[in-house]
Amino acid sequence: MKTLIKLEILRSLRNRKFLFFSVIYPSALYLIIAGGADDAKLPGMRVDMALYYMVAMAAFGAMTAVLIGNSEKIAKEREQGWVRQLRLTALPGRGYVTAKIAAVSTVSLPSILLVLVVAAAVKDVRLEVWQWTAIALCTWAGSFVFAALGVAIGYLASGDAVRPITMIIYFGLAMLGGLWMPLTVLPAWVGDIATWLPTHAYAALGRAVEEGDAPHLQDAGILAGYLVLFTAAAALLYRRDSHKV
Amino acid sequence: MTTEHSPVVEFAGASKSYGSVRALSDLTVSLHPGETVALLGPNGAGKSTTLDLLLGLRPPDPGGTVRLFGGTPRKAVTAGRVGAMLQSGGLMDGVRVRELVGLACDLHPRSHPVDKVLESAGIAGIADRTVGKLSGGQEQRVRFALATAGACDLIVLDEPTTGMDVSARQEFWAVMREQAAQGRTVLFATHYLEEADAIADRVLVLHRGRLLADGTAAEIKNRAGLRRISFALEDGADEAALRALPAVTDFDLSGRTVRMRSSDADATMYALYQLGLYPRDVEVAHLGLEEAFLAITRRAEEPGADQGTSGSTDHGDEPGQSRGTGREAAAV
Repeated sequence: MKTLIKLEILRSLRNRKFLFFSVIYPSALYLIIAGGADDAKLPGMRVDMALYYMVAMAAFGAMTAVLIGNSEKIAKEREQGWVRQLRLTALPGRGYVTAKIAAVSTVSLPSILLVLVVAAAVKDVRLEVWQWTAIALCTWAGSFVFAALGVAIGYLASGDAVRPITMIIYFGLAMLGGLWMPLTVLPAWVGDIATWLPTHAYAALGRAVEEGDAPHLQDAGILAGYLVLFTAAAALLYRRDSHKV
Repeated sequence: MTTEHSPVVEFAGASKSYGSVRALSDLTVSLHPGETVALLGPNGAGKSTTLDLLLGLRPPDPGGTVRLFGGTPRKAVTAGRVGAMLQSGGLMDGVRVRELVGLACDLHPRSHPVDKVLESAGIAGIADRTVGKLSGGQEQRVRFALATAGACDLIVLDEPTTGMDVSARQEFWAVMREQAAQGRTVLFATHYLEEADAIADRVLVLHRGRLLADGTAAEIKNRAGLRRISFALEDGADEAALRALPAVTDFDLSGRTVRMRSSDADATMYALYQLGLYPRDVEVAHLGLEEAFLAITRRAEEPGADQGTSGSTDHGDEPGQSRGTGREAAAV
């Protein structure tokens, strides 16, 4: 199983194009959205745009890399029959899912760090050392949830369907979870839904740290629940996959 | 649990339907330790489905069972007792050959050293090449290396020599024979009849999801019941009289050479001599396995023989299919 994890990470790092764009993209978006903002507080919040979007874009970028990276790649590998071959080994389902999460997480970490560096350098964001560390770690760890979701989607959909399905889930989660704009500017019912979405809990981890608190237990709990759910679903789908090659 | 005498593979009433298409119909067959078995049939006969059930990649329809070494297929796979080479087994891309084979060795509970596996699959020379940049034949060898990464008791190969040229094919089967000589049970699906004839000591003929014949290649040839008869008549031949010989199913006269097929060669030859003729260079021979196969599958397609198996089977790429006349089976 360790060998598979190592190989999957190696493959991710060798895929230069995917690596490059996944790492650059969230920082670029951050500069576009928060670049010209002044340091007024956002309505109903204790943080300004530079801070809000630092966490939101780090989360959004990490989610992009892991969700899309996994779902499309896995759907392709199923079609090529590699997964069938792998299922003829003693590898357990959770080993496969773990390797896939590990592979995309090597890409998401540098993309998160780059957003933080850009925020500090360009937007003069200043935080305590523990806050920087906690934001980076929370955002990275939280991305595992979406990596697992990506594996599950890669198994539920195949062929031409995988991209639109991924996109719907991806945009839906990003918008309703408040990664694009603060939920305080959206209708109240959106906020009610959002409380239970993994994306909302995901960005809330980092925002709590920005506000000087520890991440809220409820958010961590919601994310852990989703991680278990998505991982179990992905492992089950891997075992049961009957995709005809 | 597993004893010396228990079958390696045991299908009992196993069927598989995809929607309204019945890919495999009530298969009951057992394979025993040390056998080399060919699963023979045209494309669409149900070979791949049979192997999928055997390997636990799909479950059989309710009512049927598939057991490997007395347990579930998954259990046998997890224990490393089965090595399999799939027809369209894609390979992980973006890695080197050695890395991929190393992964298979690592995952196998009774693995061989990587170098030994590379060596015996004949890919030691391309170990540092990227997997995505191999030729079709090289890819097949890599798949073979994945299937033989550890000490397994059963090797399953789905059309293993597809895409190989003649010499690669011969080399491949030489390696395979070594594996069989070590006491492994080998099951391979093929639509090359010459491979089944030359390599297998038991042939299962599958057609439209049903097992039509099970025996040695010689038995299968016998089962077709036809002999090929040829001879020359120096004084010319009376074609009408020859055609009227008993049991003749197929007749061809070119110059002085007569070629025919007979469902009862003894009776045909006896009647030939009774005509007062003196045939020279007489040859009476079995049909090849290929012709026997066609005869058996054609017979299965005759009205009444086919018990409502739905769907048509495309024989288009069956080697030698175009040489069949159709009359042979109709007359059997």
